[in-house]
Amino acid sequence: MEKVYVLGGAQTDFERNWFKEGKNVIALLKEVINSALKNTNLSYEKIKKLNKENKIAVCIGNFAAEYYIDQGHLGPLLTEVNEVFYGVPSARYEAACASGSVAIDSAMSKIRLGDYDIVLVVGFELMKTVNAKISGDYLGRAAIYEKEAKGIEFPFPKLFGKLADEYVKKYNLDEERFKKNLAKISCINYANAKRNPNAQTRKWFMNEKQANFRGNPTNEKIGSMLGISDCSQVTDGAAVVVLASEKYAKENNLENKPIIKGYGHRVAPYEFNKKMIESQNNKYILPWTREAVCDAYKRANLSLEDIDVFETHDCFTSSEYMAISAFGITEPGKEYEAIENGTIDFTGSKPINPSGGLIGCGHPVGASGVRMMLDLYKQVANEAGDYQIKNVKNALMLNIGGSATTNYVFIVGK
Amino acid sequence: MLKILKGGSMKIKEITVVGANGALGVGVSGIFASFGDVKVNMISRSLEKSKIAIEKAGNSVKALKVCDNMKPYTYDNLEECLKNSDYIIETIVEDYSEKERIHKLINKYMKEDAISSSVTSGISINGLASCYNEEHKKSFLGIHFFNPPYSLPLCEVIPSKFTNKDITKFIKSYLTKTLNRKVIVVKDEPAFLANRIGFMFINQAMQYAENYKDNGGIDYIDTILGKFTGRNMAPMETADFVGLDVHKAIVDNVYEHTNDYAHEKFKLPNYVLDLIEDGRYGTKSGEGLYRNSDEVYDIKTEEYRKKKNYKIDFIDKVIEDFKIGEYEKGLETILLDNSTESEICLRFLVDYIVYSLLISKELAENITDCDIAMAEGFNWIPPIALLEFIGKEKFKELTLKYGYDKLMSSINIQNLKSDYQYEKFLKAKR
Repeated sequence: MEKVYVLGGAQTDFERNWFKEGKNVIALLKEVINSALKNTNLSYEKIKKLNKENKIAVCIGNFAAEYYIDQGHLGPLLTEVNEVFYGVPSARYEAACASGSVAIDSAMSKIRLGDYDIVLVVGFELMKTVNAKISGDYLGRAAIYEKEAKGIEFPFPKLFGKLADEYVKKYNLDEERFKKNLAKISCINYANAKRNPNAQTRKWFMNEKQANFRGNPTNEKIGSMLGISDCSQVTDGAAVVVLASEKYAKENNLENKPIIKGYGHRVAPYEFNKKMIESQNNKYILPWTREAVCDAYKRANLSLEDIDVFETHDCFTSSEYMAISAFGITEPGKEYEAIENGTIDFTGSKPINPSGGLIGCGHPVGASGVRMMLDLYKQVANEAGDYQIKNVKNALMLNIGGSATTNYVFIVGK
Repeated sequence: MLKILKGGSMKIKEITVVGANGALGVGVSGIFASFGDVKVNMISRSLEKSKIAIEKAGNSVKALKVCDNMKPYTYDNLEECLKNSDYIIETIVEDYSEKERIHKLINKYMKEDAISSSVTSGISINGLASCYNEEHKKSFLGIHFFNPPYSLPLCEVIPSKFTNKDITKFIKSYLTKTLNRKVIVVKDEPAFLANRIGFMFINQAMQYAENYKDNGGIDYIDTILGKFTGRNMAPMETADFVGLDVHKAIVDNVYEHTNDYAHEKFKLPNYVLDLIEDGRYGTKSGEGLYRNSDEVYDIKTEEYRKKKNYKIDFIDKVIEDFKIGEYEKGLETILLDNSTESEICLRFLVDYIVYSLLISKELAENITDCDIAMAEGFNWIPPIALLEFIGKEKFKELTLKYGYDKLMSSINIQNLKSDYQYEKFLKAKR
């Protein structure tokens, strides 16, 4: 099978509010595309040439532009960024919060088939056009809307709050200890984000005392035992990664760039309750998430020992808690060990989210999967700056859509 | 003697904030209680005021749990509070004799190995240092926080001529690493760095408003220097927000105590003085340069009138360009336009860069510190980022045109590089 190279890319500063700046989606895309092309030595001239040969394509990941910015038919958007994109095949991919990953998956396939040499993967979401409550309702469309979200205030915190409740029940956990573990996950992500110059929360304050202080006006409870400190927060942002074929890498002396070594893609029962019914007798609470991780290990011919750093989908602290055993770092039900003994810390043996994750970086839904892939690239290419983990050979990401309904895993390495 | 000077490590565990119920006292207490996770003794005139300040401080950092770190006191408790404090921060009103009185007391009660600071935007740190004995002088320095500190992370650290260098280094590192601040060390000169630049710009806008009072004055100039020029708020709106009395104190201080090429830019226009004398300080008194959200003071008629929606074509074009991320095209629009308005706009931007570089070279450790000052303290486009946006060759042309070439000959702009990107500062808004 053809190798798929990751040449790098760019992301916008997730602290920015583009609506407040008065700028639209074209401005967002223009900035991120220009930076990504600069970082990967791809000129507009080169794109023109590749397009003439029909060797370049674009995959766009986005969840809900129709709601947030009244814009559908997103594939052609780059033609508004620059005329060199006239004629370049481009389409939008959607899988809720895993929209970025499904775009990466498709880009990868195009390269593996040998049809294209360069595919730009663009993930974006502009979400600050509406207030938090309306946004929460829009996001409810990533669940079964009619059953799980319609008329419910902030449906997703409630679904992941349920996951937390189910965890305590299934593994008979000490609830107080579990809540402290979740607070620590939040704090690690906030602390890591302080080193990331593009993180939404880099100026924000959080510590374990505050994260454990749920149920007051500065940390309101929002879904069962979860407080605001357990949630990632929506923001505006875009991320781009440039994928390339082996042929292109050889011709341009880029064979030292990281490659995508494996992936996993599994879809679980849509409705959250059905997920729980299905996994009743399984040792994993979300077996399809675990399965996606195993698929990626298998396809990459690697195992946990080979992975030096992880980026996971901590839309809520309970989803990162679940990811720890899905990665195989601990047995399911024993995730607290890795949290309490420092394994997943920035300086631990299996660091998770050195970037700050969704909680620290912010979560522009359609961009998050691509942002994670960019962070894997940075870690493996030793370009992560202040949040670089030492000696990274292989890195793994987990990006989920809905209540861990769409599960995507990628392994990037050298 | 300080542990740190004896080669030991210093740890800040407990601090006292004197004057804790003012806006900055609250903000600063919140920062130390949260990021620092230290015990904060809060001193105000009454226990009630200190208690209210604690809740405000918790809310200012969006974390009420940190209120556990703060204890309410009054001036009666000054001695016992200082006995255990590793760091003392005075945030009382900007009045020299009041500050002097407090710092003499701090000198009397502070621990041998404590550090002490005045939070001020312009009071002489060298002057206040004389409140301290020879040993304590070494560990006294000024700190200028910006309001509100949680969203404006700039801290100007101002050592006096007596401050020990290791103390300055230690405080800079503590503010940066532990308190998550953006820190620059500046000389003890009027208004320090950020305000010196920012209030030059604002005061010059006020002067232009007077010169162009026939064209509309205040709202006319504010439109020309609006959000699209790299800020969240137009300059004279900012002055109203800060308070015209505060503005006056800052520019008067610079006007009295400096004498460089920009001296006259700090002369407060008479109409602003009149407004202050009438008690029209700005937002806090309900009226100033503006009234409500839709009225402006007309310098010519000396009455408030409805704000005008000036028809200035180049601004609309620039905003359309910025809206779709065509920054360079927007710049070209400004450069190629030949209206009075675009001329004023460009002139201000060049003045801003020139003054920032010259004053930063004089007052800061690094010339690039002016970028940190304006981005983190004012949320304005950083001068060097703006210079890079305009382009170095074009900028040279403009300095020649405005007669700044001699002044600028001491600065090699080719080597200047900003750590900031200009895009996010340039709003697609009037």
